[in-house]
Parts: sequence; structure tokens; C-alpha cells
Amino acid sequence: MVDKVSFINSKTLRKDAFVKVRGLLKFTNDLEVPGMLIGRIVRSPYAFADIKSFDVSEAMRLGAVVITPDDVPQKPFNPRLVSVNEVTFKDHYVLTRKPRYVGDPIAAVAAPTEELAQKAAESIKFEVERVYEPVLDPFKAMSVESPLIHEKIMKGDEWIEVKNNVAATLNYVEGDVDKAFREADVVIERFFKTGKRYHMQLEPKAVLCVPEADDKITIYTTTQTIHNTRILIHQIFGIPLSKINVVKVPIGGSFGSSIQTNVLVPIAVALCLKARKPVKLTYTREEDMLDHSNFTFNFRIKIGAKKDGTLVGAEFENILDVGAHQIQPYPLLGTSLGWFVSLYKWRNIRYIGKAVYTNKVPGCALRGYGAPEVTWAVEVIMDELAEKLGIDPVDLRLKNYVGLGDVFWGQGPTVRSVIKSDGVPELLTKGKELIGWESRGRPEDKKGRFRRGIGVGRGFHTSGAGGPISGEVIDYSGAVLRLNEDGTLEYITALQDHGGGTLDAHVKIIAEELGVPPELISLATATTENTPYDVCTHASRGTYVGGEAARRAAQLVKQKIFEYATRLLNRVVNPEALKIRYDEEVKQTIIYVEGSPDIKITLKDLARTAWQRNWGTIAAIVSYRATSAPPSFTVYYVEVEVDTWTGKVRPVRVVAGADVGTPINRDLVEGQLHGGFAMAWGMAFIEDTPYNPETGELLSRGLITDYKIPTAQDIPRVEDFKVILANTYEPTGPFGAKGLGEAAMNPAVGAIANAVYNAIGVRIYELPMTPDKLLKAIKEKEGD
Amino acid sequence: MIWVVKITFKVNGQPITLDVKPNELLINVLRDKLKLTGTKYVCGIGECGACTVLLDGEPILSCLTLAVDVNGKEVTTIEGISKNDELSEVQEAFMEEGAIQCGYCIPGFIIMSEYLLRINQKPTEEEIKEYLKGNLCRCTGYVNIIRAVKRASESRTTKTG
Ligand code: FES
Ligand code: FES
Repeated sequence: MVDKVSFINSKTLRKDAFVKVRGLLKFTNDLEVPGMLIGRIVRSPYAFADIKSFDVSEAMRLGAVVITPDDVPQKPFNPRLVSVNEVTFKDHYVLTRKPRYVGDPIAAVAAPTEELAQKAAESIKFEVERVYEPVLDPFKAMSVESPLIHEKIMKGDEWIEVKNNVAATLNYVEGDVDKAFREADVVIERFFKTGKRYHMQLEPKAVLCVPEADDKITIYTTTQTIHNTRILIHQIFGIPLSKINVVKVPIGGSFGSSIQTNVLVPIAVALCLKARKPVKLTYTREEDMLDHSNFTFNFRIKIGAKKDGTLVGAEFENILDVGAHQIQPYPLLGTSLGWFVSLYKWRNIRYIGKAVYTNKVPGCALRGYGAPEVTWAVEVIMDELAEKLGIDPVDLRLKNYVGLGDVFWGQGPTVRSVIKSDGVPELLTKGKELIGWESRGRPEDKKGRFRRGIGVGRGFHTSGAGGPISGEVIDYSGAVLRLNEDGTLEYITALQDHGGGTLDAHVKIIAEELGVPPELISLATATTENTPYDVCTHASRGTYVGGEAARRAAQLVKQKIFEYATRLLNRVVNPEALKIRYDEEVKQTIIYVEGSPDIKITLKDLARTAWQRNWGTIAAIVSYRATSAPPSFTVYYVEVEVDTWTGKVRPVRVVAGADVGTPINRDLVEGQLHGGFAMAWGMAFIEDTPYNPETGELLSRGLITDYKIPTAQDIPRVEDFKVILANTYEPTGPFGAKGLGEAAMNPAVGAIANAVYNAIGVRIYELPMTPDKLLKAIKEKEGD
Repeated sequence: MIWVVKITFKVNGQPITLDVKPNELLINVLRDKLKLTGTKYVCGIGECGACTVLLDGEPILSCLTLAVDVNGKEVTTIEGISKNDELSEVQEAFMEEGAIQCGYCIPGFIIMSEYLLRINQKPTEEEIKEYLKGNLCRCTGYVNIIRAVKRASESRTTKTG
């Protein structure tokens, strides 16, 4: 038997690398069309105000096209379409008379040059009816004295009244927690708070909206979902879907920042409809920081365990600060719970989840959608529990984690499936050896200015949000695959690649299924016109869900190839007698009969003949819903060095372990882990966007001078960053693969925090762990 | 009347003469007027390095440079790094090492790495980090970027040495 060439295990260069290294890849901001106008947004300088009237006369005199709330549909929407309509909460308007944070868009202009547009935007005046004191703290927001940030919002198609600024709630109970705590040998309760991180994706968001001759509009924009962008524009403006085409443009990093339809899209559409000219709108960095940042999490976690380490119960209270508008915090209440229950077997659980409005930048998903935050808190409290019980932290985790054969519902209570692949024991054990776990020492024995510590954190992310039952979350994808007349292929998917190489993984999957080298499979431009629906690249579903859609498309194409080959190769009884593989010697894909080497045809000849003989095009279109969302497990062991004089922390060594099933592209998997760790480092020590308590303005004013992210100097030495991949196979995934993007980061902050503790013996429950917090804690512990 | 200044300079070897306003930034001239969109805008305030270009061989931030200041000089952008379709060692190495994810930061990194390797053929890891610390990347965690610079340095020294 001839050995099959495996593309999955071979190293290939990513398809877009060649244009990227030469600076030739066009992002939205790089696009232009003749006659296009440049748009600018007028933003509220008030955190909480009601506007009476606008004066746009000067802007009009300057020749700008101007829109105010009067010119746009006043129907609320939620920019992120992911939950089914009945549980989608809507409070956004294209432009608002009731700005609820500093930066809320209140008007917009478009003019032939940026300079003129800027002048026109600055010339717009407005009168306010009332200005309120900003409400910046979610706990204060819930008190009766606080004014309501929104009085009425829509839930699905119904208007509902907001009470105590609570945007959404989700509670859940399983078993009897109170009884469990009474019977537990050890109970620990802790409060945790995270920073309000900004995504700092390198590409500021942008949109170009072009009116077409036939009443259509074409939209090019920074997005993780072209289909949901199209549906939202349809919902807001009432334009039929068939008249809107959204083109997939490469995205300069996202991390969740474009999981929703960015609010500059409807603004640009409104300007474009009014001007009847193409309109381009791009954010400055400062505007981008006013557009989105993460939710802030306030947790109260109480857990109980028996002496032998068996967990008996957990209580989890989650107060989410959602900012001024809802970009799907309701499903986040569900996933927060999902991350929590799918980490460890608590056995009895009570969950109280509340999403609360404040006058801050609207929170949206940020890589992990709550998982880095929940996993940080859980991994810290598990570490404390291990210490109290006198059990090795790794053993405690192994004893209680949710793994093989267990029911798993990472994406929330309505998305359940059973775990079929689990590399946790392998990763925990291997990592332990690599980092030198046993010699990490105890904090009380560490002295001197520089102290080192080792910590562990484990976690997971789902591969998508699929499941056997149609729950509250929409999740399916699609693929189009066509065999060209010369034997090359064209693959089209609406699924966006954020840069992690998802689409290269798809190409490899197709290559593997068909025995066609990846170079011969092109990634064709995808639009909403030429692709089946794809919900969004989120929840690390790109490889698992999108990759399986691609594999199924390849399978269908293969069947048709075999049918044609049966006609061409006489003596072959039926298509089932055929096989396909790549032949290294002739450098061709061949269709052949096993054991009869002379009965064969190359794919190239087959494609050409089918065309010449009018047999028709071989193509497949697939729409695919996954019936599970298996966890990709990750484990981090981190060694840090704390400077007890300055409070600065340096990463010394990292062991990152991932269970992604079959790694489709090993080096891309590694790249995800490197990036995930760097982002975790930022979350642990530096990233936050504080506000001026009086004005509600961002203290940084959107300047990244005051929003640092990790640089090349904040990572360990290259050889001290080790990656291990578990030897697992996910039976439901394409060639055994699972997702990774978010799992790559989720447990890293917990590992870092535990390493800090192991070094200096103090725990910081409020992120980021800035030098001042660390120094204060050290001082409190050790005295002066 | 709008006050404009005529400037003459070279971009990627090509002589250019243009009218610019005295306050016009080089990044905008490159991107909007010359359509060299490989130079990226990320922050506009000199904090990210994505807009780095070479001016007479020295790296500068084009978002902080006035176009009038390049009069009579030579600018090299990312588009000028590869000759025809032939990539430089640095570009090759970035591809080989999987140092590219979304790619938005990459032009700035490549320009800076080209410069570093020109002045220091065999930089240590610390030197690489020192030179690249002003370039932000949110995707890669820098590990493969540093590997790529090391690799490019090795392939250069084997070629020349
Ligand atoms: S855009 Fe010039 S340094 Fe950021
Ligand atoms: S590759 Fe995306 S920012 Fe560097």
C-alpha cells in the first residue's frame, strides 16, 4: 500500500503571509473608491445627559452631509446577534438623544475631505436638557437613589422596564449548597474584581459603505461576522437582505472587539443613504477606545470541600459592569456560569448573575468571554483550598476537574454535551516535570529582594457553541467548495480569520480529505452573497465548526469526483471502488483503484475532461451545525520573579500545555499560546481603563500612552517558553481537531497569580496586580 | 488661500515631487497620496511603531514626522523592502517562523528588524528585544517574531560569512 501523504502533519506557510510581509494586504482602512466621502462622528462630551436640540447649520453651510437622531430609525437594537431574539436585550440607537457615556455617538457628518468633515463635526452645536452625575460603580448603580441609565429597553419584541439599572439577570441552582457548606470540612469565601481592559487590537475599526446602481449597498468593514452585519443593517433600516452585500475584509486582530456589528457601520450606512455616495468612516485610536472595552467582573466565590479534597459545593455571585449599553451581557451571565461549573465538579451550586448598567464605554466580549476572569478567580481559590487542605494543588485539580465522560456546558446551561477527549492529566503531569514543580519551595522560605515563584493554572475553552439541542445561542456555519476546470479548487467561507490561521487550517483539512496540496486550494473572496450563513468567528469555533463544514464540503466534492471517475475509468464497478491521494512522484492528485495501479486518472485530467464533455461543475455547498462544543483544555505553569522593592514582576519561564485534539497546524497552535500568554500578562499586571469619577471621562482620554500592553521585553527568553501538546483525538472534530484561540489564554492569569503568591506569599484579588498593590500587600505582610 | 510647499524626495527608489501642507504628516502622504498603505496607522502618537519607515536608512515614526522634513531625503517603506517579488531574509524568516498572525503590526516590525540587522549582524536576544520594544503586537506574543529576527540574522551571516 502506498503511504498517504499527510498535509495535516506537514509544515506549510500560511497563505496570506506573502502579502502580509510585503505590506500589500488591504485592511478596511486601506480601501477607497472614487467619489467617496469621509465620515466623522460627533460624540457626547457628557457621560449622562439628555439632549434637547441640535444646531447643524454651520456644518450644512460647509457642505457636509449631516445626520442627527432625527435622521435615523429610532428603534433599539443589540449590535451583537448571537442569542435568539427572545433573549436579546436592545438599548442601542444608531445615534442617540440620550447619551449614556462620554463618547456615545449623537450625530455624524460626511464630506469630501477628512479635514472638512472634521470641521463640520466640530461645528455642530447642541443644547442639553439635563446633565446627570455619572454612575460609574455597578453597586451604586443598583441602589434606589441612582437615576436610571435606561428606563425602557426591548427584550426581543417587547418593551420592558429597567429596574435598579439591572440590565439582565440569570440565576441557577443545583443541589443544596447550604447543606453542602454545613457538611464541608473547609469553606473559603473570596471577592474578586477585574480591570476594565481594552482590546487594543492593532487595527482601529473602519467601514466603507458603497451605494450600488441597483439600489443595493455594499459594505466593507472590520467584522468577525459578515452575515450578522448584514442582518443587523436589514433590521435597523428595513433594507431587504438581498439588497445588502457585506464583503469579508481581512481584520487586523479582534479578540472579540468586532464580535458585534460595530456601531460605526449603521452610522456609515445612514450617511451613505442620505448622501447617495460612498462613505468611509474610520476610527482614530482614541475613538476606538471609546467604542468598546471589556466588561468588568465582580465575583464573590465561596467553595467547600471535604478533608480528602472532594469538593462539595460552590456559590458564585457575578456582578457584571456592562457599561452604558448592552452588547450581549445576558449570554455572558450564562457563559460565566458555564466556565465555572465546567472547571470543577462542585456537586452543589448556587449562582446569582446580574448585569448592571454604568455610564462607561459599553463592554463587549474580549477573548474568552469571561473565561480568563472566571478561571483566574477559580484557580486562585483552588490554590488556597489546596494549601488549607495540605494537598498538592495539582492533585486537587486532578481529583475534581470536569473531564472525560462528564457532562460539559461551557457555553451556558442550554449548550450541553459529553466530553470525549481529555488531555488534562497528561498536560498537568508533563508540565509539572518541565517546570520543576517539586522544587518550587514555600513562600515563607523565600527571602531577599528578588523572589521567584511557580504557579499552576488550568482551564479550557469550548470549540464553538454548538450542541444537540437548539438552545438560546445561534451557532452554525457553512462552506462552499468548487473544483475548477484545471483541477485546482476554490474554497469560500464567511468565517473570519482573526489572524490565528483558522482558514489555513480549513485549507489543510480540505487538502487532507482530497489529497490536493494546500497551494492548489485558493481562499476566494467571501461575501454575504456567495456564502451560506455563518454566525461569527467566536467561541474558538473556527477550526472545529468551520473546519468540519469545510471537510464535509470536501467529502461531497470527493463523491462527485468518484462518480465522474467511474465514467472515465472503464472496468471500475462503482464510485465506492475508488480512492484519492496525492502522488509524490508525479506530483499530482490521482484517483485510483487499490491494488490495480494501472487503473487511475489524475484530478487535473478529470477536471478538464468533465468540462470538455459538458458534465457540469463539481461543487458543494454545506451548512453545518455541530452537535457538541468540546473543551480544548489548557494548562499553564509559570515561573515569575518579583522585585520586592519596586513591585515589578518578570516572567522567567512558561510551560504552556494545550489539548487541541489533532493540531492541524502545529506552529499556529504555538503562536496562539505565545499570544495568549502575553495578553494574560497584560491582564494580570497592567491593563485597566480607569475613569474620572466626576466627569465619567476615560482618564487616558483614549491615548495608549496610558494604556500599555505587553511589549517584546515583557516575555521570557524564547527558549524558556515551552509548549506541550496533548496526544488526544476528538472524535467529533475534523480529523480529530478542536479549537484553541481562547483556551490559549484562559488559565494563564490564574497561573501567574499563583506564581506571585508562591514567590512572596501574598494574594491580590483585584486585577491588575500593579506595583503599588503588590508593594502595599508586601508591606502589610512583612511590616516596614 | 491654502499654503502649500513643494517637496522632492525619493520613496523606495522612485523620485517624487509633491505639494504638501506645512502641517501634513508623512504617514498621510504615504498612505493617502502615494497609496503606500503598507505603512499602518495604529495610534498616531508615537506609541506603537506600526508606522515605522526608514528615512535615509534610519527608522522614524511616520505619524510624528512632517512631510516637509523628508524634502531631499530617501524614504523606504515596507513596499520597498522586497525587490520585485524577491523577499528579504527578514521577510522570509517572518514567514518561516510563523511570526505573522493578523499582520497589522508586521510592516513596522520588518522595517525595524531590517534596520537592526543592518547595524548589528548578530544581535543577542536582549538586543532584539531592546530594538523591538517600541513595536506593539497583540497577536503573536513576540516569541516567533524574536525567533524570526534570529533566523534572519543567521541566514545573513551564513550568506555573507
Ligand atoms: S501610528 Fe505611529 S507610532 Fe503608532
Ligand atoms: S500579528 Fe496581529 S498585531 Fe501583530
